[in-house]
Amino acid sequence: MTPDPVTPRTGAVGIVGVGAAAPTLRLAMAEVGKAWAAGGGKGTVAVCESDEDTLTLAWEATTRALAAAGIEATDISGLWWGTSRPPLAEGPSHAMLTTALGCAPDIAGALCAGSPHAGMEALVGAWDAIGAGGAGPVVVVASDALVPGLGTAGEVTTGAGAVALVLGAPGDNGSAPAARLVARTTRSMAVVDRYRGDGDYATGDVYDGRLFREEVFIPLLADTGKALAGDTTTALPTTWALSDPDGKLGAAVAKRLGGAAGGGDIQGALGDTGAAAALLKAAAAMAEPGALGVIGYGGGRATAVTVEVAKPVPGAADVPAALAGGTTVPYTHVLKARGQLSPQADPIPMGVPPASAAFVRGAREMLSLEGARCRACGTVSTPPSIHPTCIACGSAEFDVVPLARRGTVQTFVVNQTMPPPFTAPLPLIVLDFEDGARLMLQGVPGDAGALAIGDPVVLTLRRYAVERGIPVYGYKALRAQDAPAPDEATAAVGAEG
Amino acid sequence: MAWNKVAVVGAGLIKMGELFEQSYEQMAAGAYRAALASVDKGAPAIDAAIVATQRGTLWGQEGIGGNTVPTALGLAGIPCTRVENACPSGSDAFRIGAMVVASGVHDVVLVIGVEKMRDKSTQEGLLARAAAGHPLYNRGETAPVLFAPFATRHMHEFGTTPEMLASVAVKNHHNGCLDPYAHFQNEITVDQVLASPLVCSPLRLLDCCPQTDGAAAVILTTAERAHEFTDKPVYVAGFGVATDHPYLHEKSTYVGLPATTLASGRAYDMAGVGPSDIDMAEVHDCFTITEILDIEDLGFVEKGKGGPASLEGETALDGRIPVNPSGGLLAKGHPIGATGIAQITECWWQLREEAGERQVAIRNGFALQHNVGGRGSGVSVVNILTRNA
Repeated sequence: MTPDPVTPRTGAVGIVGVGAAAPTLRLAMAEVGKAWAAGGGKGTVAVCESDEDTLTLAWEATTRALAAAGIEATDISGLWWGTSRPPLAEGPSHAMLTTALGCAPDIAGALCAGSPHAGMEALVGAWDAIGAGGAGPVVVVASDALVPGLGTAGEVTTGAGAVALVLGAPGDNGSAPAARLVARTTRSMAVVDRYRGDGDYATGDVYDGRLFREEVFIPLLADTGKALAGDTTTALPTTWALSDPDGKLGAAVAKRLGGAAGGGDIQGALGDTGAAAALLKAAAAMAEPGALGVIGYGGGRATAVTVEVAKPVPGAADVPAALAGGTTVPYTHVLKARGQLSPQADPIPMGVPPASAAFVRGAREMLSLEGARCRACGTVSTPPSIHPTCIACGSAEFDVVPLARRGTVQTFVVNQTMPPPFTAPLPLIVLDFEDGARLMLQGVPGDAGALAIGDPVVLTLRRYAVERGIPVYGYKALRAQDAPAPDEATAAVGAEG
Repeated sequence: MAWNKVAVVGAGLIKMGELFEQSYEQMAAGAYRAALASVDKGAPAIDAAIVATQRGTLWGQEGIGGNTVPTALGLAGIPCTRVENACPSGSDAFRIGAMVVASGVHDVVLVIGVEKMRDKSTQEGLLARAAAGHPLYNRGETAPVLFAPFATRHMHEFGTTPEMLASVAVKNHHNGCLDPYAHFQNEITVDQVLASPLVCSPLRLLDCCPQTDGAAAVILTTAERAHEFTDKPVYVAGFGVATDHPYLHEKSTYVGLPATTLASGRAYDMAGVGPSDIDMAEVHDCFTITEILDIEDLGFVEKGKGGPASLEGETALDGRIPVNPSGGLLAKGHPIGATGIAQITECWWQLREEAGERQVAIRNGFALQHNVGGRGSGVSVVNILTRNA
């Protein structure tokens, strides 16, 4: 295979903000090895709780990136989302994400899927849209929360995470962007590595790890990376943000390219984040000025990109904090959360199933969290579709408004007695929003022992249910980081369940 | 002063419990026969019936109408309507039955409540409501969630303690030991309540009523004809029903149930009495906190004082205002459609001073019966009975 010369793109595109997200669970790699009487490796992998998935991670990373860039979701013209495994193999995954973000209905963009290369494909798609003119600012978001096959080599290293980049043509934001995408190239090689057949629930792994390392991954990525220099005298970057399926391959490729792997210890904390991996490390590396090489790999394809970082990109310095934390849980907890260990009892079906008319009427008000503000008295009735009349004054004139994403606990319970598919403890919180609205939302198990009346809470998108294969998303209330320390007696009662 | 157009001339129920061996129809027949047998004189011919069953789906029946019960009672062909109005279904059926008699359309009306709650597994039964309703805004809302948030807030605002909640369960279990129809007939202690598992914080297992199969029936007729059947009729003095918003997030308060206040206000006005005239009350104690809210909302104690009042015995059999002498929902059980009728039956016995060991002192001749429930605990019914002609 003779690589084509690199095709540097003219009309460089700016990166005006980045954001990252990691799920709430952590699993010690050694635990997986122990379960299968095999070597487990060091470090931890990040895993989605049962109410998180690739979409909720993408939402969180995008929300943070937009905040860092100082851009409203309504002001972006396109969203390119790369994830190996969208929440629906076929279905409205992209529409659910942009609706939850509060994007305008005419949002452009695409969903790239099918392998961990999807993140780079999303980047390339957004880049070309801006390059073609007329687009911008746009969002590139790469996320993954793969379900690895049990006992596979990949199970030890499969993690989860998301990264979002806000792109704009230079000058979009009134000033020169902090970083620019300046060159790229792609190589393909029709070989099987990690894969999931139609109908498979979990991702399978390559037959032979050494074959993949020696004949596929290292040569393909090294060739792709070297091609960034093209036939010019352009020096290769010395810092590389790389896909790394096993936690060792990245360093090997960086060495072959005469540099070092960047992005800190994201791999050691989160594991292989799939479609997000290369861009997530790149986002962290954008905190420092300099040239940055990024190579994302998946499904026999590699794309290499050069990024020139002129000054720290907004949001880049916050990446480590966004990925920090997490609760280390036992292997069985992870298996339940990933749907690989379920009780025999049939789950209770939703009374209002997600393909029914209530979801057509209510999709936007649920995903975007809207209320009906009475024009006469200002009271917010929520949700709008079931309130043709103001609950306070009886008026029928409303403005549908997005609700605040912060509030305080009016009262709450922690439900300890739940049939499948629910899992206890489940906090249910009546909360007063900052904008005067009130709603009862679910909380998260981690807050069960700490909640108290008056606590500040923040709302985050979570997966409320998966009904007949269809995910149902809504907002949950998380105890805010500035909430007071929990009362010891309360914590003891919550922990008892 | 009181309305007194309608009288109760017969009332009865079956032993509450996990009645796996009885069908819905058999339970209905048992309650009807008990009510007939209680009539002092003669055998009233039933002109029409109202049946309260809250959820046929709990035993695998959907959309049952009013025709299931008459056939089971040997009354096929009579007019019969099923009433479903959440937890107050039975008490609302009673109220509607009284209005039917008062209207002059039917002279003798059977009001019967029947509920089969244990045929399905616990998971497929009441717990299944966790997945019903709005896809997001009450997802996970099992029955305790309708009341536990009020306990959290009541404790926060008034210093109500878990011991105060527990004292309600202890009292009602004690009363249940004196009621041969009660599901549970065992004494419990405050410590046992506080050591029972958390169900939905802050409520523990013994703060919750059981799931109970049961049936109860009463026979109503006009005040004019009451003496054909008994020398000790009990009259319907007044009633009230009220609604509140159906979602928990729409409540105007989390330390009280406004529907109860509204319903009881209407009932007191109709009967021409006030809370201090009531000799005893059967109130909705699906959870311990509910009884504390009830006795405040019904005006028996000041708002916020329900906890101390319970702890100090004001609601005991010999207290200032005896509440739930039958054992209440906590001990007698809560077969939803039957619950209100069973409470009426207890009031009927108490006013006739036929309640045996659990008989309370009847001074003014008035008894109050109350239910509250439904989505957002937003439906309440109050009936006031009197033995005063």
